[in-house]
Amino acid sequence: MDDRRRRFELLVLPHLDAAYRFARWLSRSPSDADDVVQEAVLRAFRGFDALRGSDVKAWLLTIVRNCHLTALKQQQRRAFVPLPEEHDAEDGHAVIATTPDPESTSMRRDEQRTLDRLMSALPEEHREVLVLREIEEMDYREIAAVTNVPIGTVMSRLARARTALKARWLQEAEREPHAVR
Amino acid sequence: MPCAEAMRVQAYFDGEADAVAAADIERHIEGCAECRALLDDLEKLRTALRQELTFESAPAALRARVLRALNAQQPIKPRMQPFWKGAFSGIGGTAIAAGLAFFLLAPPLTNPLLEDLVSAHVRSLMPDHLIDVVSTDKHTVKPWFAGHADVSPVVADFADQGYRLIGGRADYFDHQRAAVVVYQHGPHVINVFSWAATKDSVPKDATRNGYHMAFWKTGNLVYCAVSDTGWDELRRLVQLLQE
Repeated sequence: MDDRRRRFELLVLPHLDAAYRFARWLSRSPSDADDVVQEAVLRAFRGFDALRGSDVKAWLLTIVRNCHLTALKQQQRRAFVPLPEEHDAEDGHAVIATTPDPESTSMRRDEQRTLDRLMSALPEEHREVLVLREIEEMDYREIAAVTNVPIGTVMSRLARARTALKARWLQEAEREPHAVR
Repeated sequence: MPCAEAMRVQAYFDGEADAVAAADIERHIEGCAECRALLDDLEKLRTALRQELTFESAPAALRARVLRALNAQQPIKPRMQPFWKGAFSGIGGTAIAAGLAFFLLAPPLTNPLLEDLVSAHVRSLMPDHLIDVVSTDKHTVKPWFAGHADVSPVVADFADQGYRLIGGRADYFDHQRAAVVVYQHGPHVINVFSWAATKDSVPKDATRNGYHMAFWKTGNLVYCAVSDTGWDELRRLVQLLQE
């Protein structure tokens, strides 16, 4: 193994879990996420020399997102019909596997499934900012870099995403009061 | 019609407001019921997402597949052991350790302590390296350090605040056996290193390779929390540990 490869494994591969989490929430399918992550790591490796500074995670997630968009375009071309985001709710439910926490009560598991399903049903531009902020805990500047939009857009998307998720969550609470605390 | 300050309240909530702006927003929130409700909603949604949303680590099969794909990118020198073959065995550890040593010597060093901490953090993320004593009970973790590390740090569980104690580890570090308390925060691992202070000054908080490092000193122990969480989230744990 040469020096470049070694540096890559030490700097970039520790962020593989974050890349996978992000890919899972973008593609909403484990097998698609696998393909996206593999392609992203290879692209990252080829472009490794261009990496400057210490924002390795943001850099890798940017590549993951680009790979996801490329894969999505290819899928759409093959299918000939674009897949509208909003209609994916039912599919989204099926592809997100829940790993039950042994300590959790069944009520908690219900809630977990509910949130997973509601998140899956959000438009992609809402889903991605929510995952990057609340799960990956990135700041606005990093999210702007990953999603390739100005910071102002990150802020308004986050606000809309939170409002939308909250609204759906409340609706769910009315329908299934036990599922939401 | 939402309050005109809603966006600034959100920025404040996300830790994006500087001290002056934050004080200003706090004053506004005191007098604005709508923004108080907004802040409450934001907090509830965040807590729910961090506690309930499903997130999985990269499966071992994917990790192996990625390494194979990387190997196919370039010819491997004949005598080198393919990395993925040893990735989950002791040989892998040695290969990584050798790699780490090389890496540490290679670039111009700014502060070797920071590089050491990041290396130790990254090493801990590899399979089977994270925890020597697995426990969510501080009464198990704390005494364990007595026999395995040179210092006895603060150990506490903050599961209710989103920082779950998952165990402890001893790392050889700065010529001593440092104690490492390990926390889980959402999908993130936070390593809290502690070692006996050898000088008065405490390093400035820093970011390396995508990992934040927050330093503080209590008594004659220096602490450093390392993670890829957000700054706010890391400093929240530091605050809890200092209380």
